[in-house]
Parts: sequence; structure tokens; C-alpha cells
Amino acid sequence: MVQAWIRQPESRSFDEILPRLHDFHYLHNAPYRAFCQSLGVDSLVARWRDIPCVPQSAFKHADLRSFPATETVQTFRTSGTTGEGFGQHHFRTLEVYETAVREGWRHAGLPSGPFLVIAPHPEEAPHSSLSHMLATLAAKEEFIAPRGVIDLNRLRDLSAPVCLLGTALGFLHVVEGLRSERIVLPAGSTAMETGGYKGSGRYIERADLYTMIGEKLGIAPGNIINEYGMTELSSQFYAKGPRGLHESPPWVRAVVVDPVTLQDVAEGETGILLIYDGANVGSVVGIRTQDLAVKRGNAFELLGRDPSALPRGCSRAADEWLTS
Amino acid sequence: MADLVSTARRAESIACAAEPFHPLLGPTSARDLLAWVAAELGDASALDRWFTHGGARTKALAPDVILHVVSGNTPHAALQSLIGGLLLGSRNLVKLPGSGLGEVDAFLSRLPAELRAMVEVSVELPDGWLSSANAVVVYGSEQTVAALRARVVPGKTFLGHGHKSSLGVIWHDPLFESCPGAARDASLFDQQGCLSPQVFYVREEYPGSARQYAEKLASAMDQFSGTHPRGPLAIEEKAAIANLRAAYRFRAAGDLRVALWEGGAHLDWTVIYEEDAWFTASPLNRVVFVKPLPQDLARAMGPAVDYVGAVGLWPCTEELADRFAALGPSRFCPVGNMQDPPWTWHNGGVPRLASLVKWVDFEPSSSLTV
Repeated sequence: MVQAWIRQPESRSFDEILPRLHDFHYLHNAPYRAFCQSLGVDSLVARWRDIPCVPQSAFKHADLRSFPATETVQTFRTSGTTGEGFGQHHFRTLEVYETAVREGWRHAGLPSGPFLVIAPHPEEAPHSSLSHMLATLAAKEEFIAPRGVIDLNRLRDLSAPVCLLGTALGFLHVVEGLRSERIVLPAGSTAMETGGYKGSGRYIERADLYTMIGEKLGIAPGNIINEYGMTELSSQFYAKGPRGLHESPPWVRAVVVDPVTLQDVAEGETGILLIYDGANVGSVVGIRTQDLAVKRGNAFELLGRDPSALPRGCSRAADEWLTS
Repeated sequence: MADLVSTARRAESIACAAEPFHPLLGPTSARDLLAWVAAELGDASALDRWFTHGGARTKALAPDVILHVVSGNTPHAALQSLIGGLLLGSRNLVKLPGSGLGEVDAFLSRLPAELRAMVEVSVELPDGWLSSANAVVVYGSEQTVAALRARVVPGKTFLGHGHKSSLGVIWHDPLFESCPGAARDASLFDQQGCLSPQVFYVREEYPGSARQYAEKLASAMDQFSGTHPRGPLAIEEKAAIANLRAAYRFRAAGDLRVALWEGGAHLDWTVIYEEDAWFTASPLNRVVFVKPLPQDLARAMGPAVDYVGAVGLWPCTEELADRFAALGPSRFCPVGNMQDPPWTWHNGGVPRLASLVKWVDFEPSSSLTV
């Protein structure tokens, strides 16, 4: 049902599908049911906005699996900070996930290939949702960084436009690996970068990274796309250019809300992101992310978790452990 | 015109200017300040005259110029650092956070002109300040401290105070008498200071006593909040607290080893009980954890063990301080007094005045060599 809906989103309304998924999760997912009950939410909800959003960190502490564990075909893991463990997102089937990846890509009007991927292949990173997502789009031979070593010759030898896919850190390594060299990729080439710099001790503003990619690879910053996704979701958001806004695919709703009241913020105001992902069939639909965003019409401007934005004194706070 | 040549005179002027800041600084009489000098330099007039040092005489030499780089939200640390510099008789360059610090401005306005002239403040770090300072004192994140340390030429005095995490240990408190003090410690300065406890570890003298402590602490946090409301929160801070509450609400719904007390509709305060002893850093602004005291607390601290500021104890005995020495704090003190360090406190494990001065010795001629 969901897979068909993702292929033809206009065929059913959001309020038709998501409450049914919630009902299914409520019945088959004990931690989720306990959470709903603690909030006084029943298995039956009328509107998708009535579905409670599970905190993103709950994937670290609870088995949010809406099917028997023995039927698990794939588990994606988040990177975890010391002592906290990592989050796990289990799947009974990857068909819906992969359909969401392909349809989301198509819906955003992104190029259909050929690709070159600056990230580990799933064989090297079997629990990485990002690697799996990239492998859903690109063929194995298009991964050009086996064992973390980027084959720059694959970039030098190009004769036709390509779409580079990779992590922000991967692109940074490409740019730095070229030293004084500049490779002008064939006209029409594009790039998609994703992920942060967690654990690397590096951080570069998106606009600065795009300028660097533009200078080193000849891809105009306006042709570089940012992907926003997370292990706990099955769908992705894309934003074009250094200041582009992220838009949801039709089977997903992203809502910017006040962190305390969970009411929608006004246009142009900042809040936290709630995401209702209709492709999350085997876990939970509503996720309360830890990311800040600005409401921009039906899209959002991602601020992310920026520890440097926190004013503080000399007390070592939670966020600081993430950057050390 | 006041004579500010002597340490005693400077101490008097500083004490007078500091009067309105006692809630931030604690007792700051001239006597307190001179006792600090005496404790660290061996004599209250060590900067003014020769005094006996072994078989010779010696005198302390203050740095001509001290650069203080202070962080936001901790005006007390900024004032303490500046007062130390003024007490030494140095010229003081103070780099304030971008938003400034009203308390520093107010303190400066109360100084006599001669002392006021010994201080320059700026919200930027002007070119030349680092090179002109003989000593540099930095309060800030590890990155800030490291970045400035790298810019200071070797041989110059550098005191870096990175961010710290503090905690409390409740060893024996059957009547929960420490709760009001614990609430004060965790609430003052909205937990922004390096002496602000983020976790209270409670020795379980009977099953469930740590959880019971959390409940009593929640009540004390609420009372304190009634008389001392929390300061305003930025959206990031609101989100951090609200997200943490949501995460623990989720866990508490299906896990009896976790409990949550939430104060007020405006994120006034939060107490989280968690059976897992692993040290959990707070998002600050009056969010405090209560956990049962594990056998090996240093181990439960994980990577945080390298960043322990103060450990509040109840009761506060030398025996308990020795028992928890592996935590490596620079201060053990009673729960309830965590935010009131004496001037003599070795912040970061070093003497704050003695680390800045140099010494010149004088050996009088003896009859044999005349």
C-alpha cells in the first residue's frame, strides 16, 4: 500500500495513510504503544498531526520495531557518542525504503546519473543508511573511495557530465587531495553532499564548501545539492545551492514547531523539526528531531545543531562532548 | 588622590567597588583579599617589600600587563580574574564576550580613577593585546583556550581555564537535608559556571533512596525557582532542554529505572532520575541528574573524568575527599556551598595569584664578604 502511494502520492491523502501506519505501529510496537499511552494517545487518530513524535534519541534506548525481530532483514545504525550507544533502525523489507530513495530523488528533479560516489560502499559499511541510500542510486563500480582512498583519476578521466555523491567530509578530502590541481568536470556536472563533520573535528560552512567545490571541480555552487536525512528516517530532503531551502517529498511532512508547545511557529521563525515520514513502515511515523530550522513556507531552512550558537559560560555542557 | 601603590590600599579600593557584587563573589572585604595574597604569596605585603625567605629575603613581582579573556554568562569568573590582576597591581586588558558583561562595566564604574585607569576592556581582541601582555588568563572552551595558547609565545605566563563539569556526592543524608543546598548549587548562575553540579550521585542506603532524593531535590528546585527565577533562554537552549525532557519522557513511559520531574510550563527546572550511573552531561539551565552512586565513580564518569571542576560532598569530610580523589577535581566542598568558592581556591588546581607573579630574591651582604 505504502509503496504504491509513494509511486503515486496523489492517489491517497496523507490523512488516509499515516493514521493507519500509526495504528499498525501502536499494535505491533510495545515501546511506541507505551509512549502513546503515556501521552493519552490511542491507536486511532483522525489526523496525521495527532500522531505523537518519538524523540530521535529513542532509537538508542528502545527497540522501535513494528514486526518480529526474527524477520529483520537490515539494521541501520547511527554513530554514537561514548557511553550513550548508538541508535538502531530495523527493517523488515528494504523495498519501501529504496522506493522512497529513488522517488524522492526523482521528485526533487535530480540527475539520473551517471554517478561517482565519495563514500563507503555498503559492503564496507553494512550498517550505514547513507551508504545504502547511495548504493540505491549508484552502481557498485561508481563508488570511487574504496577503503577510504579516493581515486582522483576517476574524476580526471571524465568526458561526460557526472553527478558526484558524497559526504561533506568526503568532498573536503577531494578538495584537499587535489592540492594546487584543478579539475574542471564536464559542463553540466552536479554534486550532492550530505552529512556533517561529526568526529572529524572539522567544520566548514555550506557556502564555503560549495565555493571550494566550485573552484576545484568547476561545479557551480548553484548546481550543488545538500541532502538532509537521518538513520531514523526512510526519506530524504534536498536543498539546491548554498542557501537553498529543504523540501519534503509528497509522502513526508516536515513541521517547524516551538520546542515546548509543539505548536507551529510563524513564518520565518525558528523551532525544532518534527518529521512525519510515510515511508517509515517498520518503525514509527513521527520523529522529533534534534535539529533547529526556520519555517519558510512549505519548506524549511535547516540550522542543524550548532553548538557554537549556544551562549554559555565555563560549564561543560552536553553539546560540547559531541565536538570533542 | 588615593595612594594605590600598596597592596593594602588597592585591596581597600577593590573591596569598596566589589560591595554590590557579594552575591556573585562571596565575601570580598579588604581583609579577605589580603588573606588571599598572604595565602598564595606567603605575606600580604609580598608585592610591596622584602620579606624573609629561607636565609634570604624575597619580593613578588607582578606582571606589568595581564590579558584576561573571559567567557559569557560567567560574570563572577570575569570579576574574580580582574580583581586578582588589580590586586597584584598589574595593568589589565579584558577581552569581554561579544555581548559584553554588564557586571564588569558596573564594577569598573565603582573603582577610583587610578585603579580604573589600570583596566582596558574590549569585546574584540585588539591587535597587539596578546603580544603586549606579560601574562594571559583565558576562560573558555577547550578550542578557545587551545587557539589562544598557540598564539602566545613560549615563556610567557599562560593560564587556561577550559570548561569543567561539576557533580555532587550524597554519601549519607537520611533526612534529605542537603536538598535545598543542592538545588541552590544547581540553580545559581543557571548552571553556567564550572562549579555548577550537573549530576548528584546518591549512595543508596536502602533501595530506592536515590530516586527519593531526586523527588526531594525536585521539590527544592521548585522552591528555589520561586524566589530566584531562571534567566531567559535562547531558542537553542530551549530546544536542548525540551528535547532532553522529551527523550526522558519517552524512556520513563516504559522503563521504571528512569523518572522525570519537570518544573513549570517554561522549562524552569528539570530533575531526571536515572539508574544508569554513567555521567550524563546536562544541557544546563537548571537541568540536573540524580543517579545511584556506583562502586567506581571515576569509571562511571567516562571521558568526563578529565574535566571535573568541583565535587560537592555531603557530609563533607576529608575521608570522603580522599575516597573520591580519583575524580581529580580542584575543589571538594559541602553541597550547598559549591557556588561560593573562597578567594584562595586553586581554580584548575593552580594558585591564581602565585602563578602570575615572579620573584626577586635579595641576599644581604654578610660580615665575611664586606
